[in-house]
Amino acid sequence: MTTQTTVPGFIHRALRHRSFMIGLIFTGTMIFLALLSLFWTPHSSTEIVITQRLKPPNMNHWFGTDQFGRDILSMIMTGAQTSIVVGLIAVSLGAVLGAALGLWAAARRGWTEDVIMRLSDLNMAFPVILIAILLTAGWGPGITNAIIALGIFNISLFARQVRAAGIAMWEREFILAARAAGKDDLAITFEHILPNIISVIVVQATISFAVAILAEAALSYLGVGSQPPNPSWGRMLSESQSYIFLTPVIALWPGLAIVFSVLGLNLMGDGLRDLVDPRLARQR
Amino acid sequence: MPLLKVQDLRVELQTSRGMVPAVRGVSFALEAGGTLGVVGESGCGKSITALALMGLLPDGATTSGRIELDGENLLDLDEAALCRIRGNRIAMIFQEPMTSLNPVHRIGRQIAEPLRLHRGLTGANARDEVLRLLDRVGLPDSAKRIDAYPHQMSGGQRQRVMIAMALSCAPDILLADEPTTALDVTIQGQILDLINELVEESGMGLVLISHDLGVIGETSDNVAVMYGGAMVEQGPAGSLFGQLAHPYSQGLFAAVPRVGEAHDGPLQTIPGTVPELADLPTGCAFAERCAKASDICWAQVPAMELVAPDRQREHRAACHHLDDRHQDGAVP
Repeated sequence: MTTQTTVPGFIHRALRHRSFMIGLIFTGTMIFLALLSLFWTPHSSTEIVITQRLKPPNMNHWFGTDQFGRDILSMIMTGAQTSIVVGLIAVSLGAVLGAALGLWAAARRGWTEDVIMRLSDLNMAFPVILIAILLTAGWGPGITNAIIALGIFNISLFARQVRAAGIAMWEREFILAARAAGKDDLAITFEHILPNIISVIVVQATISFAVAILAEAALSYLGVGSQPPNPSWGRMLSESQSYIFLTPVIALWPGLAIVFSVLGLNLMGDGLRDLVDPRLARQR
Repeated sequence: MPLLKVQDLRVELQTSRGMVPAVRGVSFALEAGGTLGVVGESGCGKSITALALMGLLPDGATTSGRIELDGENLLDLDEAALCRIRGNRIAMIFQEPMTSLNPVHRIGRQIAEPLRLHRGLTGANARDEVLRLLDRVGLPDSAKRIDAYPHQMSGGQRQRVMIAMALSCAPDILLADEPTTALDVTIQGQILDLINELVEESGMGLVLISHDLGVIGETSDNVAVMYGGAMVEQGPAGSLFGQLAHPYSQGLFAAVPRVGEAHDGPLQTIPGTVPELADLPTGCAFAERCAKASDICWAQVPAMELVAPDRQREHRAACHHLDDRHQDGAVP
């Protein structure tokens, strides 16, 4: 288990895990570009230069320009910020609330567990896009509603994973020993259960992050996510649709950005799962 | 008044076949500084009895009877009150030292937990106390080992850590559930000696649970033999081992192979298996495996009776055929 892993040993194994490293490089590049865009982009991502519209890639505009003459590379870089912010907040929201509910269900069992898990089932019966559109219908389109919709969806995902891992942990003998030492359920949950299942949460967070980026792109594509003029990969994709026969390359860039960031996070998540659970790694 | 007095303790466990009696009327008393050895096969209710004493039975279990600690019935207490007693007044050592410690925390922190919970010790005070405990349980190089993780230690060392944890708040009663079963024979002896020393030194009461007669014989003043969730024989160790009265005790003792004794043929066994708790017979639980079983054994549960009424010692057994014993001369 995670528990037998020392930090240098973990790094050593991580470096030899090929798909984890590829995922790390993709994800790292995305985060780097987003951070860089906070200080510098080749051009302004919102500046419209109508004379330069729909240019193919060239020395001045590496990725070319869109239908308003905006620099696509700058827009991709700034768009990464949107993806990361949405992913980060939505996943944190889901992880904190979901883990709390999952831990509670695992500690209490009985009807508390039943209520939490059935509510979670109910929540999962609604696809995330539907939740987002429902919220949009109520409060109008915007990035905040997209984040809330994704966050609510993630609560169920985390609650399920944490509950399952938590129940298995409660059966362990050291939990009985901790109870015999006089600890109550709350102390055991935070001091013994949570530290032992943190790897489950980290792996789920990585995968959920990828799902959130994809969902944000989908919501923006549908027009209910991030609003102009903030660049977003999903909206770039939908806007480029009309020009796809004129300049196919402008649809390619946001598509590639989404593919590489989602692929990177998924590879990293899978890799992490292998790395924190050596038994799984050996089977592969 | 005895330190711990258990009266007619009954436990039913929830299983897929409904409520099943796992402990059926266990009674005993333990004085401060006294040791009680509980012996029996797997599944006879030894561990469930220990968990019932701690109030740590699985969900859905029901308990009746009395468990009096200094006159206070533990079965009447709520969970919060029990948390104050566990690890403080009654402590427990488990069978598997390899899995009884949390793998993600350093051992020093784990031993300090009961000190923090029950004594309010923190920081350097707690650390000093943990070091003292580690030295006391004979963990070599305690100053370095205090920051070790459980996986860095051997089974014997971990059991010492468990003992240090159990002793941290100087409990009145120590429950040891098969504390040496998972250890090498040489380590077993060391751990038993340590437990004995600590009991003598601190004057706490010890309930030692084991399926190993040797372990029980070495440590206990009083011995109880359990079968099918009930005690079938109990008494002072000397008198009980000197004159085993119950057919089950005799069989259990005869089944122990002895070093240096010539064996012609297979080891002695007790025929049959432990009965399923869900379908225990109406009468004596041991009847179907007992050579002496007669009609009354099948019909009626035998009561605990003095084995030798003429003697003063409290040696009792639950068997309808206690009087046949003299003809058989079946004392090993």
